[in-house]
Amino acid sequence: MARYAMVMDMRACVGCQACMVACSTENQTPYWSGKFRTHVEENELGQFPDVRRELLPRLCMHCDNTPCLSACPTGSTYKTKDGIIRVNYDRCIGCYACVIACPYDARYPYNSDDVETAYNMYGSDNSHDQPHVDKCSFCEHRVLEGREPGCVSTCPTNARVFGDLDDPNSEVHKLTSRGDARPLRPELGTSPKVFYIPI
Amino acid sequence: MSFVHQDVWHWQIAAYLFLGGLGGATFAIGAMMHLFEGCDRKVLSIAILSAVGFMGIGTIFLLADMLQPMKAIYALTNPSSWIFWGVIFINVYFIAAIVYVIPLLESWPKLKPIIKKIPEPILGLMEKFNRAAALGGATSGFLVAIYTGLLISAAPAISFWNTPALPLLFVISAFSTGAAFLLLLSTFSKEEKSHEIASKLEQLDAGLIVTELIILGAYFNFAFFLPTGARESAAILFDTPMFVIGFLVMGLIIPLMIETYSIFFAKKSHGSAKLLLTASVLVLTGGFLLRYYVLHAGLYQYPW
Repeated sequence: MARYAMVMDMRACVGCQACMVACSTENQTPYWSGKFRTHVEENELGQFPDVRRELLPRLCMHCDNTPCLSACPTGSTYKTKDGIIRVNYDRCIGCYACVIACPYDARYPYNSDDVETAYNMYGSDNSHDQPHVDKCSFCEHRVLEGREPGCVSTCPTNARVFGDLDDPNSEVHKLTSRGDARPLRPELGTSPKVFYIPI
Repeated sequence: MSFVHQDVWHWQIAAYLFLGGLGGATFAIGAMMHLFEGCDRKVLSIAILSAVGFMGIGTIFLLADMLQPMKAIYALTNPSSWIFWGVIFINVYFIAAIVYVIPLLESWPKLKPIIKKIPEPILGLMEKFNRAAALGGATSGFLVAIYTGLLISAAPAISFWNTPALPLLFVISAFSTGAAFLLLLSTFSKEEKSHEIASKLEQLDAGLIVTELIILGAYFNFAFFLPTGARESAAILFDTPMFVIGFLVMGLIIPLMIETYSIFFAKKSHGSAKLLLTASVLVLTGGFLLRYYVLHAGLYQYPW
């Protein structure tokens, strides 16, 4: 049993968005509707002439205290034994309570138009066969095979680090326990498992 | 830090919140008046049927907004979700409403033959448990009304919604719309007793509007003092003419003035019935506008 987490090194991210492309290909997310499981936010900080740009890659935070899971009436949203938050498409009714509850904009509707386009594009390999609310799965299918999530293995600058928080030898454990990497909006009490090393 | 409008719950959910609250409150007030005051069974049966109709249409709006409405039964899985409780309250409401309203319909001579087709033991049970159904339906109606606020307050990143004031505001507003609807119905009744009931309803509605104004004052005071999305949301609402004029002025203050005039100064006449009719329609429109604009002003506060 692991407790998977990700650390984002904001000093290393160059905003190439390869993570978005890799995720979209790996998970057949509806990029044709502008919907992605992971994004790279570009923030302009400061005031002229003292300005800088910050790149913030984001995805589902796989919170330990999970507001989307509490809001989901159907049990479609569930937590795996490894702490990954997943969606069971068969049970999702698409009420959007989880979308409203998520503080990190991690969820979006995979609606019937998206399902139709996915079917036309991927044919029998289509992995989204019905409308549902979609989100990052930490590429659990890859992780179970001992591989890293698609976004992590693709990142050319190693801005994303993936591993087991409970393993003292893992890089994510070292970075978070040293306090180098911190979560977003910890005051909400969600205990997110994605951490950020600021610039 | 950025503030982003929620874009998944639109007017359909506002209609659901409005009709759910209206249906729940109309039943609760109607049944309470029946139990404590006694009233015209014909008008009461119309009120209860309308309440059930509101709740039914509201539920249809909710289902129509879902991605997979045919799987709605799965919503009875996770008790930590407010929707789970909403489904239970609404179903108890419908069952109680059927048991309560069928014996009431016997007051309509044309419907009597149809009701007599129901097997006697079942009809007997319905009559026996009529008061229990009135209480059960009123309780579940109240719970549906408060659930509509609890549902949207369960959003940690939408600070304007994530407050204890919102369920209170919605439940008081729901009861105000319920009282206004019953007031509207009573203006059509020709019975002598309807005047007495109308004056009780206008007192109730005026009291509820005053309470709603107090909660709104506390709510906006709280929102404006927080350096969060709540302040942005409150500012958006104050910049929206349909919220300020349509809801605050036309939906609360003017009906309150009309009802106050009617309570203290008006002689009961045809003219005052028209005024009350206007007040009721304004309160009902205001109830929908409140929910529509509160949903519209829901801003996520994202950490980027």
